[in-house]
Amino acid sequence: MKAKTRFTNLGFLLPTLILFCVMVVYPFIKGVRISFTDWDGFSNTYQLVGFDNYIKLFTDPTIIEPIKNSLFYTVVTVIGDNVIGLLIALLLKKDTRINRVIRTCVFMPFIISLVLTGFIWSYIYSDVFYSMFHIKSILGNKNTVMLGICIMAMWRDAGYSMLIYLAGLNGISDTYYEAAKIDGASPFQRFKYITMPLLAPAMTINITLFLGWGLKVFDYAMTVTHGGPGRASETFALYVYNYTFPYNKAGYGQASAIVMMVVVVIITSIVTHLLRKREVDQ
Amino acid sequence: MKNKVTISNVMLMVIKLLVVIIFIAPFYISVVYAVKSPEETARTGLSFPTNICFENFTRAIEVSNFWGAMKNSIIVTVCSVLILMVVGSMGAYAIARNIKKRRYQFLYYVFLSAIMLPFQVVMMPLYMQMKDMNLLNTRIGLILAICGFQLAYNIFIYVGFIRSIPVELEEAAYIDGAGRFTTFWKIVFPLMKPILSSTLILNALTVWNDFQTSLIIAQKDSVRTIPLTQYFFFGEYNIELNMAFAAFVLAMIPIIILYLIMQKYIISGVMAGAVKG
Repeated sequence: MKAKTRFTNLGFLLPTLILFCVMVVYPFIKGVRISFTDWDGFSNTYQLVGFDNYIKLFTDPTIIEPIKNSLFYTVVTVIGDNVIGLLIALLLKKDTRINRVIRTCVFMPFIISLVLTGFIWSYIYSDVFYSMFHIKSILGNKNTVMLGICIMAMWRDAGYSMLIYLAGLNGISDTYYEAAKIDGASPFQRFKYITMPLLAPAMTINITLFLGWGLKVFDYAMTVTHGGPGRASETFALYVYNYTFPYNKAGYGQASAIVMMVVVVIITSIVTHLLRKREVDQ
Repeated sequence: MKNKVTISNVMLMVIKLLVVIIFIAPFYISVVYAVKSPEETARTGLSFPTNICFENFTRAIEVSNFWGAMKNSIIVTVCSVLILMVVGSMGAYAIARNIKKRRYQFLYYVFLSAIMLPFQVVMMPLYMQMKDMNLLNTRIGLILAICGFQLAYNIFIYVGFIRSIPVELEEAAYIDGAGRFTTFWKIVFPLMKPILSSTLILNALTVWNDFQTSLIIAQKDSVRTIPLTQYFFFGEYNIELNMAFAAFVLAMIPIIILYLIMQKYIISGVMAGAVKG
């Protein structure tokens, strides 16, 4: 009987295990191996080079720009999406018909792809804004290109953070506000001492989520700016891609991918840990 | 006092209107440019279009292989969400019902950590593997790759839900002589309907909008999905403004119609998927 249970358990698991192992686990292990070689990505021969790729990576001066760009994007979108999302959620808190329509509009950009978002905005920057305000596309300027990418990303994703905050706001009972009103708390005090602490779980979700997306951002830089002008909008994910495919340095690209993974895991774990601790404290 | 209230109400309405304008403007701009001829655009800019220039659309369809891309996108999305639903829920069932056993617990944590994995880490080896398996530039290859990568997150969501379903229901079925598989498909699977529909929609959005995986696996013209077609379309040619926007609008129409019809489910799906990394 016991053997049979085990067998049926395996029967349930088998498709999952096969799919996951073939598409994720096995490539992952192979990837770790590639990162210790000088493989170019297509020839049949390669040599094990130990930690050479990793040493090269940490001494490469051109890696600083992509790291800076990814971090800039992450910080701006995490803060921007959260602030905008929270403000709009507060504005549309009441469940009226008009508010529901506005929520639908605010969330709509989120359903179109990043590729499409990127292209639409690049035309808006270069043609629409130019004909309206006579300013050149901010994607063409080294100093403003990342900001331009952040703006389109926030346009797309703010609706998502709004939804999470709305769910959080709906979970706060009105009785707290009434009690605070009777005690003479001002609207600002009510926001600071009731709304904010009780929204902590929603904020944890939003920050962790946008952090993950931000650190891995790839599509915008790849499709719209190709990392340019110069390398001004090359994100870390694009750096990895460029070395792996167009530059034919698979070994080095793979090493940088693994470093990227480690960095993502470390930053995400630290931030999640801090946020959870904050939730408990309050 | 009453006067003050109306002023703040008016202010609120103005702010709300501004919010709507900001979020809708790019859609409005896309539609306006898409339906105007180049001459009319030069003359009237962003004002409401007076007549529709269908030529933009017909040319965009022709040049960008729109129907082919649409077909690929639909096939890949439908197959992927079905595979994820069936395979994911079965796997999650085995894990959820054995979560106390060490091996299953380990497996669960493997999936949990795989959610964070950046695609870049498996990009190159996966490309090689697809090439070896003759799955490069095929729809099946793309579907399997996407499913493999999305599986971890699906398992995570399903396990959480299945654990909230009482085991007693299944035990009653065993006593009646039903096997494990019958019990799962007849009792557990139907009970998972709310989480299945939410996840299905979220998966569909992810697959429909996927760019990274398709870029690696399905570059050939005949298997390109919509995002990839657009990437190559705008990378290779210098596209005339109105035709570009016609292409954008065409790509947007199916997903926006779906959104407006299924809004309720999409929103609950997005909320359920809030853990996604």
